[in-house]
Amino acid sequence: MQPVKDIVIVGGGTAGWLAASTIAARHQGRIKAGQFSVTLVESPSVAIIGVGEGTWPTIRTTLKKIGVSETDFFRHCDGAFKQGGKFSRWTTGADDDFYYHPLVLPQGFHQVNLAPHWLAANDGRSFCDAVCAQGVLCDEGLAPKTITMAEYDGAANYSYHLDAGKFAPFLQSHATGKLGVRHVLADVIKVNQLENGDISSLDTAQAGTIRGDLFVDCTGFAALLIGKTLEVGFKPCSDVLFCDTALAVQVPYDRPDAPMASQTNATAQKAGWIWDIALPTRRGIGHVFSSRHMSDDEAHSILAAYVGPAIKDRNVRKIPIRSGHREIFWKKNVVAVGLAAGFLEPLESSAIVLGELSSKLIAEQMPANREIMDIVAANFNEVTSYRWGRIIDFLKLHYCLTKRTDSQFWIDNADPSTIPERLQNLLKVWKYRSPWFFDEFDRLEEVFPAASYQYVLYGMGFRTEVDPYELAVDEKLAAQYMRQNITSSFRMRSELPKNRELVDKIVTYGLQPI
Amino acid sequence: MTNIVPLNNQSHRDLRVMALVSDERNFVAVVAGEFPHLAPHYPIFFSKDSETGAFYCGAMLGFDEGENLFVAEGRNVYRPLNLQRGPFFVAGSDIAIDLDSPKVGSGELLFDESGAPSVYLKSIMALFRDLVPGMEQTRIFIEVLLGLKLIEPIDINLSFDDGTRRSLAGLYTINQEALRDLADADVLMLFRRGYLHLIYLMISSLAQVKFLAQRKNTALRAGLGLPR
Ligand SMILES: Cc1cc2nc3c(=O)[nH]c(=O)nc-3n(C[C@H](O)[C@H](O)[C@H](O)COP(=O)(O)OP(=O)(O)OC[C@H]3O[C@@H](n4cnc5c(N)ncnc54)[C@H](O)[C@@H]3O)c2cc1C
Repeated sequence: MQPVKDIVIVGGGTAGWLAASTIAARHQGRIKAGQFSVTLVESPSVAIIGVGEGTWPTIRTTLKKIGVSETDFFRHCDGAFKQGGKFSRWTTGADDDFYYHPLVLPQGFHQVNLAPHWLAANDGRSFCDAVCAQGVLCDEGLAPKTITMAEYDGAANYSYHLDAGKFAPFLQSHATGKLGVRHVLADVIKVNQLENGDISSLDTAQAGTIRGDLFVDCTGFAALLIGKTLEVGFKPCSDVLFCDTALAVQVPYDRPDAPMASQTNATAQKAGWIWDIALPTRRGIGHVFSSRHMSDDEAHSILAAYVGPAIKDRNVRKIPIRSGHREIFWKKNVVAVGLAAGFLEPLESSAIVLGELSSKLIAEQMPANREIMDIVAANFNEVTSYRWGRIIDFLKLHYCLTKRTDSQFWIDNADPSTIPERLQNLLKVWKYRSPWFFDEFDRLEEVFPAASYQYVLYGMGFRTEVDPYELAVDEKLAAQYMRQNITSSFRMRSELPKNRELVDKIVTYGLQPI
Repeated sequence: MTNIVPLNNQSHRDLRVMALVSDERNFVAVVAGEFPHLAPHYPIFFSKDSETGAFYCGAMLGFDEGENLFVAEGRNVYRPLNLQRGPFFVAGSDIAIDLDSPKVGSGELLFDESGAPSVYLKSIMALFRDLVPGMEQTRIFIEVLLGLKLIEPIDINLSFDDGTRRSLAGLYTINQEALRDLADADVLMLFRRGYLHLIYLMISSLAQVKFLAQRKNTALRAGLGLPR
C-alpha cells in the first residue's frame, strides 16, 4: 500500500498557509521523525488576493492549535477585535434600520430558547439586546476582554479584523520557522499525472520537479489543480446571490487615536452593500454589488459618498467575484481549499472559516495510504458540500427577508424563485417554531449555528407565532436568563476597555499565555 | 491623592514618618528574595497587573478589599518590603516621598541635626537596595516559569462562620503537574538558578490560606460575640 506522507500545497495566500500550518501542526510528530513532509509552493509573481479581513471565532482555535501567540498575531497582522456584524438598512432601508449579528450565543442557549419569550414580550427591545450583551458592547466600541485575560480567552466571544496582506506572511514565518513546513517560491508550469489521473508531481519554472502523495490546491481563483488539471466543474450560484463585483479601498483615520469599531459594519445599498472593517491603522472599505443591477460608475459614486472626501487619491481596486463553488472538492489525490474551492461573496466572512474547517478536516482525516483516500475524499465532499449549501442559505437569508422595494436588486432578492428550496421550507417552518440548537443544524461543526439564524431573522423583523401554552413550560427559566443578561451586560460595560485602548495595550505589553 | 516629591535634607529636615503602620490592603507585591521570610506566614501567589496584564508575585494579607489581617502583628511577623517602605518611592537613584500619605506627620525623623539620614531612613535606603533589583530578578523568575508553562490559575473558595463566602479570582500558582513532568535538564536549570527553592516555597505557602482564614474567622466570631 502506498503511504501518504508528502503533502504539497500549491498557493501561498491565507488559505495555503492556514492549510499548511494546520496540517503540519497536527502531524508534528511524524514530521520531526522524518516520516511526513509539508511543502508549500507559491508563485513569486502571482500576488495573493490580499482582501478578506473579517474572520469568524474559529480563527482563535485555529491559531492556538498551530501554536501562534495571540500577542504576536496582534503585533504583526494589524489585528483588531471583531464582535459581530452590524447590518444597517437591510430591512427597510431607512436611516434607523439596523440590527446586530453578534458572536455570542443568547443567554442559556443550551437550556432554553429565549426567542419565543422575547417575541411574546414584544416590549420594543431588540432581540440582540434582550438575549445578550454584545450589541451594547459594540455600540460603545468596547473590547471583548481585558489586558489581564489570557491569550485567546474572552469575556465575550470574538474574532478578528486583520490585514490580509500581513496575515499570510505572518503565517508563513510561523509555518516555516516553527512547524517545519518547506517553502518553495516557484511557478508551477506543468502538472504531471499518472494513468489513473492522480497527480504525481509538479514541474516548476524555478525549482525543478516536486513530487507528492496529496496535493492541496490553494491557487485562488486560478484553481490550477482542481479546475484546470482535473477539470472539476464549477457550480455557480449567481441565481441566488447576485453580487459579482467588489470595489475595495483602504481609508486612513483622521487621527491615530480615532475610535475603532468592534464590529464589521455592513450597510446595504441600492444594489449591494458596503463592508467597513476597522483595523488599528486604517479602515478597509468595499462596495460589493450586482453588475446586473448597477454600473461600475454608479457603484463607485456610492462608495465615494460612503467614504467621503478621504477617498480622494485612494486607489480603488475592482475585484470580480464569480459566486459559486466546485462540484466536488476532493478528487483523486487533490483537495481544494480557499478560493480554489469556491467563493460566494464577503458577507458574514464565511470564506476563511470554511478554509479553516476544510484544513482541519484534511489534517484530522489524513488518509494513511492511497487505497483509503477515495473513502476519505467522499466523506470530505459530503461534509463540504453540506457546508457550502448552508452558507448559501444563510447569506441569502440576509437578502430575502428584506422589505425593501426601492430597487430591482432588492425586489429580485425577495423573489421566491431565487431562494433555495431548503431555505424556503425552513422559513415556512420558522413561522411556527423558531430555530434552536438541536434543530435543523445537527452537524458537529456548523459554520453558522441556529443562534446566527435567530439573530438575523429577528433582527430583520421576522415573526414566529408563539403558543402561550408552550411558553409556560420554561417561562421562569427564560425570565431568569433575561435578567441575568441585564446584569451581565451592565457588568461587562463597566469592566471592558475600548477596542482601540486594548489593542494598543496588547501591542505595548502583550497578553499573557495563561 | 498623591504628592510625590524627591526627598531632600533641607525641606524635609523636620518631617516625621510612622514606620510601623501597615497599609490597609489585602494583597501586596513581593520580590523573590523575600519568599523565605514570607512563606511561613503569608500565601504567595502570582497575579496580574491590571494596567499591563504582566505577572507579578504577591503576598496575600486578607480576603476582602483593604483587609490586612496582619496589622496587629507589628514586628512579630515579617512585613513585606512594599509595606515596610511606607510612603517612600524610588525615582531613578533618588528616594522620593508621598507627602500626602497618611503615614507622614508623626513618628520617626528622617534626618539628624547635621542633615545626615537617620537610622530609619538608612533602613529605607537599604530596603530599596533589595527591592529594586529584586523586582527585576522576580520578573525574570516569572518569565522562566511562564516559558516552562509552570504557572496556572487557582480558584480559592472559602466560607466563613458568619455564613458568607469568598471566591478569589485572578490568582495563579505553580502548576505541580507540569512541575513533575519537567525534563531533567529543566529541573537542573531551575535548581542551579535557585528557582526550585522559590517554587517549593510558593507551594508550601499555600497552606497559609487556611491560617489566614482562621484569623479572619476568629475576628468574625469576636465581632458576632461567638466564642473563639
Ligand atoms: C472582495 C473580497 C472580499 C473578501 N472578504 C472576506 C472576508 O471579509 N472574510 C473572509 O473570510 N474572506 C473574505 N474573502 C475571501 C478571502 O479573501 C479568501 O478566502 C482568502 O484570502 C484566501 O484566498 P486564497 O489563499 O484561496 O487565494 P489567494 O490569496 O488568491 O492565493 C493564491 C495563491 O496561489 C498562488 N498561485 C496561483 N497560481 C500559481 C501557480 N501557477 N504556481 C504557483 N503558485 C500559484 C499565488 O501565488 C498565491 O500565493 C474576500 C474575497 C473577496 C474577493
